[in-house]
Amino acid sequence: MQIKPILAALRHHKAGTLLIAAQIALTLAIVCNALFIIHARLVRLHQPSGIDEASLLVIGNQWAGKPGSDQMASLMAADLDTLRKVPGVANVYATNTFPLGNGGMALGVSHSPDKLKSVTTSGIYFADENALATLGLKLVEGRNFRPDEIGQLDRQGYVKPDVVIITRALAALMFPQRSAIGQPIYISAKPSIVIGIVDELRTPWVDTSFAKWADYSTLIPYRELTPIVQYIVRVQPGQLDEVMHRVRAALYAANRLRVISPKDGVRSFAQVREQAYRDDRGMAILMSGISVILLLITGAGIVGLTSFWVGQRRKQIGVRRALGATRHDILSYFLTENLLIAVGGVVLGGVLAIGLNLWLMKQFELDRLAPGYLLAGVVTLLLLGQGAVLAPALRASRVPPVEATRSI
Amino acid sequence: MLKMTHLSKVYRTEVVETYALRDFNIDVKEGEFVAVTGPSGSGKTTFLTIAGLLETFTGGEYHLDNIEVSNLDDNARSKIRNEKIGFIFQAFNLIPDLNVFDNVEVPLRYRGMKAPERKERIMGALERVGLASRAKHYPAELSGGQQQRVAIARALAGSPRLLLADEPTGNLDTQMARGVLELLEEIHREGATIVMVTHDPELAARAQRNVHIIDGQVVDLAEDPRFHTAYTAAAGQVRG
Ligand SMILES: Nc1ncnc2c1ncn2[C@@H]1O[C@H](COP(=O)(O)OP(=O)(O)OP(=O)(O)O)[C@@H](O)[C@H]1O
Ligand SMILES: [Mg+2]
Repeated sequence: MQIKPILAALRHHKAGTLLIAAQIALTLAIVCNALFIIHARLVRLHQPSGIDEASLLVIGNQWAGKPGSDQMASLMAADLDTLRKVPGVANVYATNTFPLGNGGMALGVSHSPDKLKSVTTSGIYFADENALATLGLKLVEGRNFRPDEIGQLDRQGYVKPDVVIITRALAALMFPQRSAIGQPIYISAKPSIVIGIVDELRTPWVDTSFAKWADYSTLIPYRELTPIVQYIVRVQPGQLDEVMHRVRAALYAANRLRVISPKDGVRSFAQVREQAYRDDRGMAILMSGISVILLLITGAGIVGLTSFWVGQRRKQIGVRRALGATRHDILSYFLTENLLIAVGGVVLGGVLAIGLNLWLMKQFELDRLAPGYLLAGVVTLLLLGQGAVLAPALRASRVPPVEATRSI
Repeated sequence: MLKMTHLSKVYRTEVVETYALRDFNIDVKEGEFVAVTGPSGSGKTTFLTIAGLLETFTGGEYHLDNIEVSNLDDNARSKIRNEKIGFIFQAFNLIPDLNVFDNVEVPLRYRGMKAPERKERIMGALERVGLASRAKHYPAELSGGQQQRVAIARALAGSPRLLLADEPTGNLDTQMARGVLELLEEIHREGATIVMVTHDPELAARAQRNVHIIDGQVVDLAEDPRFHTAYTAAAGQVRG
């Protein structure tokens, strides 16, 4: 109802009006993109890895005293035996890395020995006949590795497996028309026959730059003979905490010449996941913090400017009251005025937000901003504006009509 | 129209109590044109602000249009100010951010009047004061006399029955003051009740009745021997 005269009056307060509108616009642009990024990060925190994380432990073992390859093979076999005998342990195998481990080996996968013609990159997991059962992977086609197929790989060795187990996603990529079982793929100069397909197994890396081939994992039948080895232990239901303590003691009791870090030598997958996404979590917290600070600054700016305007206009508020304005009329004047400025701000901010998103899409391969975030940002800023303006507007509504007659 | 009996107004600050009005009695009849005079600080503005419901009073009674106003809530008081009373201030009090048209529109909007009627009344009022051609001007672009005429148009547009003016010519030169007074006289002839505070004996003399306030009380100059001489002298000046 009062929109026209309010707009007319605002034309005489261009600087303040533009300042607040611009502040609202910038805040909207940044906050809704931040919200979008935060949400994307939080979603990642819960991305499934494909393995049965709740029942798994990982032990990082490092041999002391520089044992030779033969020695390491027997030490490893002994450890696997020891672990298997620990009460509460259901299964165990030794590997180079594991999902969420953020490290490991990646190889190109081709239809021919020509490395340059690889179809995709695949994350390579060293595995034995116990790997599938330990990780809780579901074999959807084909068979598991046999014990006699498990090879040893020392430092000088090359990965050239006769047989491999791959994920369903990789199988579908390599052989879209037919079953991959029995087909050769090349991760070395030698063909490797696909003998099994597992449902889902993510590659070890959580970074978004690996996201393109996160589902393309390959299990190869090798034990890696390096001084550092990871034992993946499957625990019987409900015994995770107890087994975590028992395994360390059991390994040290069997052989003292090793280092299992007291801090993170034995980890549950909850801890592994927490560490893997530490940066994402940190980023989400940082962005939330920045958003909150921006909103606070914008709110404070509105409170400040409106308070200033109310002080400046005391006389004219008194005049309006003298001419018949009720307290409510004055209150709604300032609320409406703020709403008009804020609407201008969010319209501009919406354009800026989309622009910023386009730029981020280009620079950081971000997704397109979902409209919901823009809407949430717009609502937030409009509410923030009304909330911030309320106190000064109430003060304005309490200016007495007699103010009209005061000369100063 | 406007009747105050034993009315008092006390301003309390931390250190002193000031009786701006004490045992104040006045009865302004419908259609009267009353000029209020008195020394500075005597309580003229205080009287006018209470009469116009801009402020509450401390004791006594005030009947406006036969309504005892001390029981009214803030909204009811706003409504009366809006519909029955027109104000003209010494300092014009136009809203600097609004042009002449929008200024005159302010009370009409608060009345909830529809746009076509508002426009008709605004242009009518501006024509009355001879400023229809300045509707799009801003207050800062007008002379003092023109600004006061806009203020009068603003007071008139709502057709109030009571017009309260606090030294409406105080900031104007004689020429412009005369123009403003002629306008007020014209409005009065059309039936409005006018109460005008003024320092100017010439203007006061042109009112139907003079009320003199000293120390927060109405004194009858004609009957009080203390002021008899001064009053006749002032009146004589005008007539002579
Ligand atoms: N808000 C206030 N607080 C305290 N005292 C006040 C206030 N307003 C007016 N007064 C006092 O009340 C008395 C009457 O003041 P008022 O403004 O009514 O005088 P006036 O007759 O209009 O004077 P002038 O001719 O100078 O305008 C003065 O003593 C003044 O100091
Ligand atoms: Mg005064």
